[in-house]
Amino acid sequence: MPLCQRLRPAVVLASLLCCSGAIRAEEPLPKAEEILDKFVEVTGGKAAYEKVHNEKSTGTFEFAGKGVKGPLTIYRAEPKKMYMRVELENIGAIEDGTDGETAWMLSVMQGPHIKEGEERAVSLRQATMREPLVWRTLYKSAETTGIENVDGTACYKVVLTPNEGKPETQYYDKKSNLLVKMTMTAVTQMGEIPTETVVSDYKEQNGLLSPRSIRQKALGQEFDITIAQVEYNIDMPKDRFDLPNEIKALAKK
Amino acid sequence: MSSARILAIATACAAFAAAQPALTPEQKRLNLESFEFIWSTIHDQYWDPAFGGVNWNAVHDEFRPRIERAATMPEARTVMGQMLGRLGKSHFAIIPADVYGDLDSHEDAGGPQTAGFDVRVIEGHAIVTSVEEDSPASVQGVHPGWEILSIDGTELAPRIQKVGELYRNSTMRELYLARSVLSKLAGAASSEARVQFRDGGGTVVTKEIRRIRPRGSLAKFGYLPPNYVWITARKIDGDIGYIAFNMFLDPLRLMAEFGAAVHACVACAGMIVDLRGNPGGLGIMAMGMAGWFIDKPDQRLGTMYTRQAPVKFIVNPRPPVYSGSLAILVDGASASTSEVFAGGLKDLGRARIFGTRTAGAALPSAIDRLPNGDALQHALADYISEGGRTLEGVGVIPDVEVKLTRQALLSGHDPVLDAAIEWIHARK
Repeated sequence: MPLCQRLRPAVVLASLLCCSGAIRAEEPLPKAEEILDKFVEVTGGKAAYEKVHNEKSTGTFEFAGKGVKGPLTIYRAEPKKMYMRVELENIGAIEDGTDGETAWMLSVMQGPHIKEGEERAVSLRQATMREPLVWRTLYKSAETTGIENVDGTACYKVVLTPNEGKPETQYYDKKSNLLVKMTMTAVTQMGEIPTETVVSDYKEQNGLLSPRSIRQKALGQEFDITIAQVEYNIDMPKDRFDLPNEIKALAKK
Repeated sequence: MSSARILAIATACAAFAAAQPALTPEQKRLNLESFEFIWSTIHDQYWDPAFGGVNWNAVHDEFRPRIERAATMPEARTVMGQMLGRLGKSHFAIIPADVYGDLDSHEDAGGPQTAGFDVRVIEGHAIVTSVEEDSPASVQGVHPGWEILSIDGTELAPRIQKVGELYRNSTMRELYLARSVLSKLAGAASSEARVQFRDGGGTVVTKEIRRIRPRGSLAKFGYLPPNYVWITARKIDGDIGYIAFNMFLDPLRLMAEFGAAVHACVACAGMIVDLRGNPGGLGIMAMGMAGWFIDKPDQRLGTMYTRQAPVKFIVNPRPPVYSGSLAILVDGASASTSEVFAGGLKDLGRARIFGTRTAGAALPSAIDRLPNGDALQHALADYISEGGRTLEGVGVIPDVEVKLTRQALLSGHDPVLDAAIEWIHARK
């Protein structure tokens, strides 16, 4: 799954900003299925994805122009486990994760939170390993609705409707078929927040391409995520996806 | 946050404008870029697209020639600050680059040194409300309740009258009055303030008080000016917890110490959180701290309304939650996040508020770096407390209004704290 989608729960992001300009579609639009399946091909192919059983990504997270940043680490494992930690300087850790059943968030400042309903469903969907291969099990429909410019690049606009939750819109470069932007309404405990995520700088690791630069916009603010390293099939600590004690205590109530 | 401090800095900058060197062409260019950045940021992000009736395009056209003519940095900052002032809201300010600089790179990081005592203006008089233990002021016998008559030869009465009149109709009057005195007391490291007091017996005494580093640890967040942050916790009468801290900042330390203090007193008959003089800080900390007092999920302190979407200030319960009597102490110098915390818990029926009305300066804000190196603080959203009322320009109205008096302070009493303790004892 594109890295940008995995990062959504941590940054609680969104934006109404859409610099896309509509282009008249003078050619038949490819089916969304074709675009999504082709994305698998151009980013490494089905066989390469199937070799991945877990992964670790490391990089940095920064509030753009605010002077606040810190290291970011994300672990994922099959079938749908995820743990993410952002360590912001002078603020402390923000953690987000799921063991495949309980989806949660924990921060020094805000305390523990167990996700429910749509918020939980989105977290589990984003934690799903090899999501590009199994998108048909996660979304009930996908439709190509047009061609739009994203920062001067003509893109196919694909609207995906998940089994649970609000539709997401993804923009795929017509030439490369790489995902370059997505918009969605992030469902968080603080409200439904329109978000925009722009991804770039795809790099290859173990035969798989993934974006290393992600800019997310929400509520008029911007967040930059830079991924320095992606490792696949690491020796994952057994307790990596265990619920933190604060979450366990909350769950007992 | 720290709007008053920023205002004081901006005012000081303006006063020294005449002594400042002329700008280079490059500095002028960067100031123009900064001006446009500020105008565009407000244009794009101010929560009310109608700007509260202010013609923002006309404001640009009015101030652009003035920033082009600005000959010094303080002059340029004044022009930009005046443009922001047209919005008539709190949490809009220009922060000079040398104020928010790195902790280690400036001798004055964290602001100027202080005289080691706190002050409020009570019925037109500057009164010492607390004295730091073991400070030079304490050693010299300065006592709560003493009136300050002059500082370094400047009589305070005219200054207090002028500031009082200027903010006659503002909820921030008490805050500005206190700051106007505290800014006179502040100064360079190891310098001395010559302060004339009227002591408890009515005798006029003069003390040379060596200024000291502010209490607490230096904390930094983004482009906010570094600030000294302290927290204190103790028990009163054996079974009442008391927590006070001067800012909602330094979350790594403060959240841990606040949580530990609550948990150490989880079976206490009452808990008092003293936010008097607390100007606010990181809004999210209000939600996190409220989690130690709220055991029901999905409760919120209020909602901030950005141009894009409303954002709920949700409280996450942090078991074991303190469920006993909770009193929050506030005054006119309690602002921003302090108001979010106190107002929200009052609206939820979780806390009883004691003291005087808060500053009514409660807009969530962000700080961006400008091309010229300064920083822009700008409010991002309107904020409505859970009870459905705005706090901006209104403040939190205490359930029990209690005012400090010189006489009470002189006799070693804190009537606001006493009222909270009495209420807790009555509920046992």
